[in-house]
Amino acid sequence: MATTPAPPPVTDKPLIEPSPTPYADPPPSPVGASARRLDGLEKVTGEALYAADFFPREADLFATILRSHEAHAEVLSIDTAPAMKVAGVVGVYTHVDVPGTNRQGLIKRDHPVLVEDRVRYKGDALAVVVATSESAAHAGRDAIRVRYRPLPVVGSIDDALAPKAPKLFPNGNVMGGKRIRKGDADRALAEADVVVSETFQTQTVDHAFLDVEAGIARWDGRTLVIHASGQWVHEERRLIALALGLPIEQVRVIQPATGGAFGGREDLGMQVHVGLAALKHPGKTIALRYDRAESMRARHKRHALRIHYTLGARGDGTLTAAKVTVFSDEGAYASTGPAVIRKASSHATGPYRVPNVHVDVYGVYTNNNPTGAMRGFGACQLAVAYEGMIDRLARKLGMDRVELRRRNLVRSGDAVTTGQVIPLATGVECLDAVMDRFRNGGRPLEPLPPYRRRGWGVSTICFGLGYGDGFPDASRAGVRFTRDGFLEVLTGAVEYGQGLLNMVAQIAAAELGMPIEKARVIWADTGRTLESGSSSATRQTYFTGNAVKRAASELKEEILDIAGTHLHVHPHEIVLRDGLAVTRFGEPRSVPIAELVADGFNRGYELSVKALYKPATLCENFETGQSPRAFITYLFVSHLAQVVVDVETGQVTVERYIACHDVGKAINPQSVDGQITGGVAQGIGMALMEEVVMREGRMANANFTDYILPTFRDVPPVETIILENQDPGGPFGARGVGEPPLIAAVPAVLNAIHDALGVAPHTTPCNPQRVWELLHPEQAEPPADIRFRTAPPHARP
Amino acid sequence: MLYQPQILEEALTLKADLGGDVDALAGGTDLLVALSRGQWRPKNVLDLSRVVERSEIRKADSRFSLAHGVTHAQLTRLPVRALAEAALSIGGPQIRNRGTLAGNLGTASPAGDGCVALLALHAEMELTRAGRGSRRLPVRDFFLDYRRTELRPEELITRVVVPADWTSAWHKIGKRGSVNISVVCAAVARSPQGRFGVAFGSVGPYPLTAPKTEALLNAAALTPELIDEAAAMAQTEVSPISDHRASAAYRRAMCGTLLRRLLTEHFLNGRD
Ligand SMILES: Cc1cc2nc3c(=O)[nH]c(=O)nc-3n(C[C@H](O)[C@H](O)[C@H](O)COP(=O)(O)OP(=O)(O)OC[C@H]3O[C@@H](n4cnc5c(N)ncnc54)[C@H](O)[C@@H]3O)c2cc1C
Repeated sequence: MATTPAPPPVTDKPLIEPSPTPYADPPPSPVGASARRLDGLEKVTGEALYAADFFPREADLFATILRSHEAHAEVLSIDTAPAMKVAGVVGVYTHVDVPGTNRQGLIKRDHPVLVEDRVRYKGDALAVVVATSESAAHAGRDAIRVRYRPLPVVGSIDDALAPKAPKLFPNGNVMGGKRIRKGDADRALAEADVVVSETFQTQTVDHAFLDVEAGIARWDGRTLVIHASGQWVHEERRLIALALGLPIEQVRVIQPATGGAFGGREDLGMQVHVGLAALKHPGKTIALRYDRAESMRARHKRHALRIHYTLGARGDGTLTAAKVTVFSDEGAYASTGPAVIRKASSHATGPYRVPNVHVDVYGVYTNNNPTGAMRGFGACQLAVAYEGMIDRLARKLGMDRVELRRRNLVRSGDAVTTGQVIPLATGVECLDAVMDRFRNGGRPLEPLPPYRRRGWGVSTICFGLGYGDGFPDASRAGVRFTRDGFLEVLTGAVEYGQGLLNMVAQIAAAELGMPIEKARVIWADTGRTLESGSSSATRQTYFTGNAVKRAASELKEEILDIAGTHLHVHPHEIVLRDGLAVTRFGEPRSVPIAELVADGFNRGYELSVKALYKPATLCENFETGQSPRAFITYLFVSHLAQVVVDVETGQVTVERYIACHDVGKAINPQSVDGQITGGVAQGIGMALMEEVVMREGRMANANFTDYILPTFRDVPPVETIILENQDPGGPFGARGVGEPPLIAAVPAVLNAIHDALGVAPHTTPCNPQRVWELLHPEQAEPPADIRFRTAPPHARP
Repeated sequence: MLYQPQILEEALTLKADLGGDVDALAGGTDLLVALSRGQWRPKNVLDLSRVVERSEIRKADSRFSLAHGVTHAQLTRLPVRALAEAALSIGGPQIRNRGTLAGNLGTASPAGDGCVALLALHAEMELTRAGRGSRRLPVRDFFLDYRRTELRPEELITRVVVPADWTSAWHKIGKRGSVNISVVCAAVARSPQGRFGVAFGSVGPYPLTAPKTEALLNAAALTPELIDEAAAMAQTEVSPISDHRASAAYRRAMCGTLLRRLLTEHFLNGRD
């Protein structure tokens, strides 16, 4: 009997064994991972040194600043002799002692370090006192006798524009302006089926960062070294050198650990003053710090804006025209006001398609605190207006608010206010994501007593990141390997809590296939790092992120070259991942990058690369405000707030909050989440409670008893939705996150109040009294703040 | 000089001897703020926070007798609704753990939440001077003018006595959800016999009572109409000012609103 051969045994085993490589699934990249904060441990354990921590442990002498007693006055004389008699005082310095230009100011250099002949606000500095103890310095300061001839205080925009107003500067009280002319807004408004108008008044806001201004300085005869917290150490170095008449290379600025900035450290605080004291006392370390009251009284603030807004549309809801006139309280000096004004105007119609736009923005000097940079930078106040107008229009049209937005939001290929075409516009996607979460989630609503009403509001905004408008905007970075096997990133950029160190480290590590644990960052030291621009304008992820990625990818080429000689394949056939150089094809073979680095150093490679990222934007046309590329790229965001309003007391509670941000790519999702949550908290603060109250040029609430910040109880858990529509120009597709969380939050909350009450708010903050006054306008009393006492002028200055 | 007695008698003797030259310090939540603002420059400090039995709460004859060092955190658990809710509305957890009711009275701020609850409850306080014994005083007689009280330099507040069997309720309007200074606050209390107490905070130079409103409420059965009348009356009894916290008009109106709400929700139809 013929036998057939037995069939081969059936097994589960595949015929070809998979190779025993650990890389069947690629390991997660450091980009996109919520890696632990590089500075986390030292900050939560208290080991990190903030500026005030140097104090007084390293100080030989203590300095303090005498500030003006008057909001507006001629200074007749400053008698420092009594101060010199105070025990412990070793020096008192006034403007005559300042060796340089004695000027600071990021744009106009108009702010005296020490006033010469005229004080313009109560925070103006008159003298620096140096003593052997802080209390002696304070006693010396209080002993100085200043004689003034008081001048009328220009306390408000209205005061400043009054026909007989005293001139604060030789050219008058209008600092400058910005305009947009697109189409024919007047005609389009005349032809519109519906027109809505409103005057908004936003408040002055303080940055309220935790870590008040402090610093130490030392002059050894060659270099003036200043440790103080800013937002752009290289610019600070330039300004300090100019003001003190030193060559730039004799000034070094080093940033200590920093607790928040929010734009409040863009202008110089006490850096020049402590530097001056150091110059006068060579070889001594001088320390100077503010207390909270001085921090609030001296520092610039967010601009209070009065915005007249008229919006026209067709009967079907299609927007046809916007006419916007804005007056901005610039306070005593320009600060970054000119740039804030420009940002306000270029964001005047937000993310909407509006064919006819007419915008005039005026900055007006007063004797209030200078106003300058703060998270949102003018775009924030305008969002209050345009988002408020969309809801007013929806009511008037009887149209759904969300539908009206969807109909008018720019789509990819449409243009925003400046005429810039947006290649990838994702406002609609953000709005839809937020609405979807709102309608398909959330806890069941608790029933309310009759005097409480619930409402929800939505906002959609766009934001141009970077300085924009043709202003030079560049970041430099270095990436290198060290002999001890670390990947080191060098950047001049400032970390003030936002997570910059992780951003640069994760980008470099991802590019070089290194674990994040092997990355270190050297940052914000003009003696060791290259200029990376300011940590502001939501720009560092895009700008410094790109510079780091460029440097890292060039360094990668060197490592690949070295790896080629170890793995005996062409460098193109090698990938770097998880600390290894691995062959791409065939049986994977690998060699640790650390070995390649060691070998590279032995063979004379430098393994250190520097790179520059400097994309161009184009200036907005002076007459029309139009520019094909006003900003390098735009961010889109949508928020939803649900509130409960007590209609009898005016108290507002935010019950639920949803925030959707298209960040391009979240380099560190946890940091992105943190930025969004923090920005929302700050936005709720601006919408409901924060307010600097000025009286005759004096801040009446320069403390945390009366400057009301939101607490945990005021901010519900923020439900964040992160969209990642990659930006073609961003590092790993990233755009950024920084300012928009705050910008979108304010109008979302205000629109929710509008929905709950049926009456639209127009003045921020909507504290209980203001909400109550909305419902009882006959009871409205002029607030204590003199800036809001008169009706807004509708005339142009 | 810092004195830190552990026995009340010792503290009282020091206070009687040094009078105005020594300042009592309880939780320090008011005094330390004043210190850092340069508004408090003490010669000598009498720290009461080590005195034994300072936190004692006794109940007798349907009254709670609270020792001088009872904190707001302790009061949040006291079954006296207006006082417990007032205590819970003060500061945040850290402040409630340190701050005391005696300190709240000592500061006599117009916005003193604890003071307002005590006024509505017709509470009494005990002021003691070593060698002379104690005097009992209705809290209603304690406040004289802006931050001026009946307390003499040689005395300490030793006890506060509150009724345990009154119905009471409390409401505060501030600008945020926690660590929240009163823009207006109100307390209402009613004895088992039907006697009312009504008090307001932040609407006058010191925590205020509303005697005419109380008389109105004491005179007739509570009805929605009477509540409206009382709310209108209360607005005439307060004397708020406009400042950076709120306008006088708002504060005045809120006194009516809060009174109406408290009476309607907690007292009408025998609720609570
Ligand atoms: C952040 C913060 C939030 C706050 N929030 C609130 C709030 O919401 N509502 C509110 O009402 N208050 C608030 N306060 C104020 C303060 O906490 C309270 O008034 C508290 O009750 C004070 O008590 P204390 O024990 O800390 O007083 P201390 O500061 O120790 O003393 C206050 C005054 O009372 C005197 N004193 C204390 N004990 C005695 C005694 N036994 N005999 C005689 N005199 C005495 C002292 O000499 C001093 O004059 C807040 C304070 C802070 C710092």
